[in-house]
Amino acid sequence: MSKVNIFRQSCKGVDDCGICKFVCPQDLFQACQEMNAAGYFPPEIKDESQCTGCRNCMVYCPDFAIWVEKTDDQPAEEDEDKNAG
Amino acid sequence: MQDKRNRVLTGTHFEMGNWACTEGAIAAGCTFAAGYPITPASEVANHLAARLPRVGGTFLQSEDEISAVCAAIGASWAGCKAMTVTSGPGISLMQENIGFAVATETPLVIVDVQRLGPSTGVPSVGLAGDIVQVARGSHGDYQIIALCPESPQEMFDLTVQAFNLAETYRVPVFLMADGFIGHMREQIVIPPEGELAIKQRKIPAGSTSPLERRDFQDVDVAPMPVFGRGLQAHVTSSCHDEHGMRNLSDPAVMHQYVMRPIEKIRKHRDEFVQVQADHPEAKTALVSYGTVSRSARAAARLARRQGLDVGTLRLLTCWPFPDKEIRRLAAKVDNLLVVENNTGQLYPYIKAEAAHACRVAFLGPQTLGQIHDPEFILSHIKEMIA
Amino acid sequence: MSVSEHPLRKYTRRHITRTTTCPGCGIGTVSQAILRAIDELGLDMDDFVFVSGIGCSAWIPSPFYAADTLHTTHGRPIAFATGVKLGLPDKNVMVVSGDGDLTAIGGNHLIHAARRNVDLTVVLVNNGIYGMTGGQTAPTTPRGLTTITSPYGTMEHHFDIAPMVAAAGASFVARWTTYHPRQMTRSIKKGIQKKGFALIEAVSQCPVQYGKASKLGSAVRILEYFKENSVRIDKARAMEAEALAGKIIVGEWVDIAKAELTQEWTELRRKLREESECHKLI
Repeated sequence: MSKVNIFRQSCKGVDDCGICKFVCPQDLFQACQEMNAAGYFPPEIKDESQCTGCRNCMVYCPDFAIWVEKTDDQPAEEDEDKNAG
Repeated sequence: MQDKRNRVLTGTHFEMGNWACTEGAIAAGCTFAAGYPITPASEVANHLAARLPRVGGTFLQSEDEISAVCAAIGASWAGCKAMTVTSGPGISLMQENIGFAVATETPLVIVDVQRLGPSTGVPSVGLAGDIVQVARGSHGDYQIIALCPESPQEMFDLTVQAFNLAETYRVPVFLMADGFIGHMREQIVIPPEGELAIKQRKIPAGSTSPLERRDFQDVDVAPMPVFGRGLQAHVTSSCHDEHGMRNLSDPAVMHQYVMRPIEKIRKHRDEFVQVQADHPEAKTALVSYGTVSRSARAAARLARRQGLDVGTLRLLTCWPFPDKEIRRLAAKVDNLLVVENNTGQLYPYIKAEAAHACRVAFLGPQTLGQIHDPEFILSHIKEMIA
Repeated sequence: MSVSEHPLRKYTRRHITRTTTCPGCGIGTVSQAILRAIDELGLDMDDFVFVSGIGCSAWIPSPFYAADTLHTTHGRPIAFATGVKLGLPDKNVMVVSGDGDLTAIGGNHLIHAARRNVDLTVVLVNNGIYGMTGGQTAPTTPRGLTTITSPYGTMEHHFDIAPMVAAAGASFVARWTTYHPRQMTRSIKKGIQKKGFALIEAVSQCPVQYGKASKLGSAVRILEYFKENSVRIDKARAMEAEALAGKIIVGEWVDIAKAELTQEWTELRRKLREESECHKLI
């Protein structure tokens, strides 16, 4: 299972930004209830066991707020972003 | 004959002022120059293009003068002794980034072979019309250094000095030549390499964070964290603190950002501000700078031959303005005639320092575009004394 | 085990704890693509000098990246970077700036650096508008879009940056959107490795200003637009102009080897030195 690390203080909010939620193929992100120091509501993972380790949330996040650690049994990360062009 | 592959062409030469300027730059250790063709400065760039690669340097012919000054500043941060050369129209284009060099405390030499303006004006006629624009043309308050050669020999000597001052004080230094001396051929004596005093900038010893260093705004000149040495220098022309970090909210930082680069030049001005007087006891003095000093000296000589008590004071440094030197002169003389090859650019500055103590008058050339005739100056000396 | 900070933070200045951009701004995605490219190439930040101009994207390296950074005047970073590169030919010199900076006020430097083929990597963030100054028309704003300086809609045509720089003589040219961060990273890696002028045009979302002008409104809706309207260059070459209207062509335009300026200078100096030594022997 992948571990999705969310650096709460770096995040600019699921409602204000929401890119992680948009690019997650499993729709695992939702805004949490607790505001960070800058006044944003960072994401939380609904069910981490469903994470495929695709790392979309990590590579798209504009604020260096997500890091996905993968386990060895998961497929290698895609080297292309799909479904565009 | 000297080997043209040497850095210092020691010996006696009969060459143009623009040639001497190039050789001064190379003798001073210049390794990067950028420029755009412009009359009457082109020969400096032409000769740099031929000479620099032979001494391990680089010449960039830029797409415009903005690019030239920017590339020279970039090369200076890369650790090169860097320069650019142009005339008035090019200086006008460079102004914004001259301010950048001031704000980032970048050593840089800018050679201005001045021509008659405004605008396109007359490319081949020398006129000292950029004296104030090099000191005040970029926005904001700042202090640069400017030197005024009066001969091809001084285009060599003062170019060497310009590099030394730029490296010592981390500031743009201007060489205020003009089309007359740029194109004039005279004897130029280049001393042996060992006799030239050459200065190098200070560089901080290894520390990887600018927060642990003072990289800027030291009135005794901070060591320069040049690029490529793992110093992680942060260089910005936005208001910044002594570490180079941007600060747009604290008025104390704003004050220091403006004042310290001014203060560092003013504090050390006695170490380099240079004036030259002849007949210092005379009761009438002609004050001049640059090419027209030659006419002023000739006029004073004519006057003395006719029994008039006339001396001269020549400003080799025009910025920072030699205020003390003018005050000292004003205290000794009765008459002070300011002879400038323009419509009176330094006259207000000189008058402000002298008018309390003596009579001060201004004399531009009989016709703009023609250097002062010594007889013309003499007639005005007589008028003033009478 | 969870990590306490983002692993790419090892490339950023310790005291800068947050990015400066608006929520959802694509600049951060481009910033990450640059750092991942450097990370994947196994390079050190000390191998780089970053040069930027004025505007939001110029803040990508300055003050964020823990490297030598030169934050310059509006439009001029390529001119500064040319001097830095000629003075430090062994360093990677990267320019990061926006479409207004590099194609409006600084357009001349862009095409001339490409013509010279000086070894710079230019990451040009194109968001189609002036963001920092409040949403004015840029040379990249699509015709017809209403902005605060085109309140009746822009009447001018926009620059097509990637092919323009390719025509000017660059060695490597690519364009991706922030919907393609992995392809963008791959092209930045190629750009860094390319001995010659490399341009990576990063089409990016400005959710605040462009979002308002285009009425797309949010980062996610602009990303959706990128997703739906991007066409690969190989496909685009086979398409009619009409079918390409409003599309964003993405991919790599140029990837060639040609004589590079700093190498030419090194070679010239070597030749002259040898000639001089020969001369001394005689």
